[in-house]
Amino acid sequence: MLTVSLCHNLAKMSLPSSLSLCQRHIQMLRKHPIQKAIHTSSKLLDLNEFFDSPKNFGAEQVRVGRSWRKEELRVKSSSDLHKLWYVLLKEQNMLKTMEHECKEKFIVFPNPERIDKVQESMENLEDVIRERNVAYFQLETTHTGERPAELIDNAFGLKEVYTKSEYDVPKELNKEWQKNNPVIDNRTLAVKKFLVLLKEKLLKKEYAKMKNEEKEVAQIFATYKDVDVEAVQEKYPDVDVEEVRQSDKARGNWAP
Amino acid sequence: MSSRWYPIYQKGNPQLRIFLPNFWMKLVRSKEPLPPNVVEFHVPLAMTNHDIKNYLEKIYNVTVKHVESTLENGKLKRSYGKVGFITKEEDYRRAIVTLPKTESFTFPDICPKEKQEESEKERKEMKEQQANALKKFTDRNSNNPGIPNWFRI
Repeated sequence: MLTVSLCHNLAKMSLPSSLSLCQRHIQMLRKHPIQKAIHTSSKLLDLNEFFDSPKNFGAEQVRVGRSWRKEELRVKSSSDLHKLWYVLLKEQNMLKTMEHECKEKFIVFPNPERIDKVQESMENLEDVIRERNVAYFQLETTHTGERPAELIDNAFGLKEVYTKSEYDVPKELNKEWQKNNPVIDNRTLAVKKFLVLLKEKLLKKEYAKMKNEEKEVAQIFATYKDVDVEAVQEKYPDVDVEEVRQSDKARGNWAP
Repeated sequence: MSSRWYPIYQKGNPQLRIFLPNFWMKLVRSKEPLPPNVVEFHVPLAMTNHDIKNYLEKIYNVTVKHVESTLENGKLKRSYGKVGFITKEEDYRRAIVTLPKTESFTFPDICPKEKQEESEKERKEMKEQQANALKKFTDRNSNNPGIPNWFRI
């Protein structure tokens, strides 16, 4: 408020023409006065921070902005992100509390998409932090500091991502762990048979899909006389459209 | 180290610290009457009593004297309709937090009566308007028997 009043006083004063730059400045300020030069942090309200401000109690609509984008968060310093995380966390807690209470009281919770917005911005923030973490680790220790994972063949002979975790005792020495996690041989005849059958099933599925698409293309040519062939080819890239067009199925009920 | 994967704690190592806690907390109106300095929360299952105390003290600046918590099952619900399959809400941890004796917390009323009455009044007015409009439409040609109401003379 103090800054705003100062600006207006400055603008009212008459100045010599030599200070043209300053005058231009003042004109700019007249057009776009500084609304909020001083910003203060929110009040500490203890447990009442779990609730929305009382003016929103019983409101049918609460208008809020959008969520934080990644490119906006990338510009911020890490300490700023750390502060923003707690703001978002408190907001999420508040919204969840209000939603629960609304459910108990049989009232409609206004604008439930607010929770999604907060969660989205939290995810984005975490992703940005993770990016920085990876960059830092690659600089310092050539490898990303991510949790190590490995592609393994599981008991059914299928590929699976196995995320590793730390143990007190290495697994070669850990008798108890060995007892709970017995090694399953996946090179048996049963697994081989299963994989053959699975492959057959998948191939059949793929073939059926292809045939279905061919049928659809034929139907298009049969129902519409003048069709853009290129557009159809673009929509069905896996089908040889020219071949299907000349087939018997694609013949319409008119003289060619 | 990514932000959500912590190394296993060995005795003598420096204390593990969480920089971006992703625990949520709900302040809930308790079904049974509680003393004014006792508050009920719903928190995720993984949260311990120690976590709850730290969370409230560090983030919300609330002094906590004692925390007790129990695991609760989410409600089972049968969907309406022919199929009637069963769905389950998420499990949660119910935490009873005791504040110092000097402090007291009263749960605010989130739907004040004035606003409720106002919205009800608006709804009633809307209904009346609709009814009047319909009556006007149906009685349009009441003076001209045999002519349907959608016909305008």
